[in-house]
Amino acid sequence: MKQILVIAEIFKGRIRPVTWELVAGARKIAAILSQTRNIPGKHLPCIQIIVPSDNPKPLAEKISEQTGNAVIGLQIPGFKTYTSDSYIDCLGQLIREMTPTHILAAHTSQGRDFAPGLALELNAASISGINHIRCDETGLFYSRPVLDNTKNMLVRPDPDRPVMLTLMPGVFKPDSHKKGKTKQVDILKISFGSDACENSRIQPTKILKRPCEDQALKGAKIIVAAGRGVEKKENLELISRFADCFSSSAVGASRPLVDMGWIGYEHQVGITGTIVAPEVYIACGISGSSQHITGMKDTKCVISINKNPTAPIFRHSDICITADVLEFIHAFLTNKILKQYKGDNSGF
Amino acid sequence: MKILVCIKQVGDDGDMNRFDAHALEEALFIKEHSDNTMPEPVSVDIVTAGPSTAEKIIRRAFGMGADRGFHIVTENSDYISSFVTAFGLSAVAKKTSYDLILTGIMSEDMMAGQTGPMMAKILNLPCATGVIKIFLPLTGKTIKVEREMENGFRDGLVILLPAVLTIQAGINTPRYPCLSNMLSANRKQILSLSSEDLFLEPIRARESCIGMEDPEKARTGRVLEGSVADKAAQLFSFLREKNLI
Repeated sequence: MKQILVIAEIFKGRIRPVTWELVAGARKIAAILSQTRNIPGKHLPCIQIIVPSDNPKPLAEKISEQTGNAVIGLQIPGFKTYTSDSYIDCLGQLIREMTPTHILAAHTSQGRDFAPGLALELNAASISGINHIRCDETGLFYSRPVLDNTKNMLVRPDPDRPVMLTLMPGVFKPDSHKKGKTKQVDILKISFGSDACENSRIQPTKILKRPCEDQALKGAKIIVAAGRGVEKKENLELISRFADCFSSSAVGASRPLVDMGWIGYEHQVGITGTIVAPEVYIACGISGSSQHITGMKDTKCVISINKNPTAPIFRHSDICITADVLEFIHAFLTNKILKQYKGDNSGF
Repeated sequence: MKILVCIKQVGDDGDMNRFDAHALEEALFIKEHSDNTMPEPVSVDIVTAGPSTAEKIIRRAFGMGADRGFHIVTENSDYISSFVTAFGLSAVAKKTSYDLILTGIMSEDMMAGQTGPMMAKILNLPCATGVIKIFLPLTGKTIKVEREMENGFRDGLVILLPAVLTIQAGINTPRYPCLSNMLSANRKQILSLSSEDLFLEPIRARESCIGMEDPEKARTGRVLEGSVADKAAQLFSFLREKNLI
């Protein structure tokens, strides 16, 4: 029987929630295949979830219980923490003995690290960063963001080999869990290479947490976030003044500003910074990378100011303001009504 | 020690991919800070696969301080698979025994992030993606790095050389080309290769692009009209109605 394989994402011994999104993606592929492949006698692919760990049983049982799908606990003796070498080698050994049509991993720092290598190991096609799974009369194809998230490219893998897919986190909604219908859990033991893990080419030292005081961002009702549109570091002062118009506000920033050292990491909104969901998010000169969008998409109301009318952030906004962000904030701060209001409330 | 940096031309202006510029900067920084600690001098070569116009970014790399430049000249094409690019770059990499291969975490145009890790697999080298810190000076047969993960976590690794690393933005600030380098850059020879020089049979992609689309809207997006002052006044009223200001 053909399989749709899902590589569960395990971090620090825990199942990361993106795993449920991968299962949702796998179910979408299975549903499409069941509609298009109505050939009698042909078995539909089944979904199997693979959990790599030195002690996969408890994790595998939990995933099976949550999803109702079959789970393979890939037991790697001596395995302590993720490395691309160990994943490519052990998953390669396991999957070579199977007949998958699709292999799904998360488009995260882990999935992006091992998936391309695993695809080559398995002689598979490889498509990364998928945000839609679709089909036409020829079959399945996938959409992925390109050109700074301004376009989606539609890509179809060759039909004659399996395809390795990494799915964008935060895009595929996890299905309601099917508790109680626990399926089969198999534990398979596979050793990493010929050497013991201690002699491998990649030695994990430790996982560090960057000190990050994100409480200000997490607690704020309104976040005023700055992007490259502010043009220079000195203009962040204007962003602060804009934020000061609101009673419960904090200043956020897109990644490039933090990378350039204009503002501290604790202000960074996005997957690699802080995930926020305030009442109002005001994006000032932020174009809207997928990393950033994922970090603020649960905001109640998104307001965007950007001089480029095609900026991707506008697709994720409730109010779109096409303007130079500096000019706009000046106009806002010198707004007569605001002035009047400020005058009425000394101490505002 | 020999370092190879893989760079790509992107965008309408034909500039060097931002992430590759970070990779090149890191290579040049390693050269400047490990020249005395390594048994042999450090050299930095660059390679790109692209149409003839890609010469522009090779000259820029020379201007920044790269030693040798390889150019795999390809046809202008709307879609080039990471798989095909990785094989081409690897074929060039095989000609010299490099100790370290660096490239950007992804290209700004295709955003796939596959070329680096695929090269590692083709060359049978260890690989770390999204490297945000390299510990210097280099002294021996390993390299100590930190890889960026989600939510402020970093993965500390010691990797046996030779290795492939893909570089994340934020690791450094790429330098501008300097004048003296730029003057000699124009005299430097670029080693041009075609894919026929590298392969007996063309490498075929395992996937194809079947179209482009505008992404759908996730929110309704009411567009404010009028002058900048009008828009500012409208936003103020909106926030006032919601009792936010």
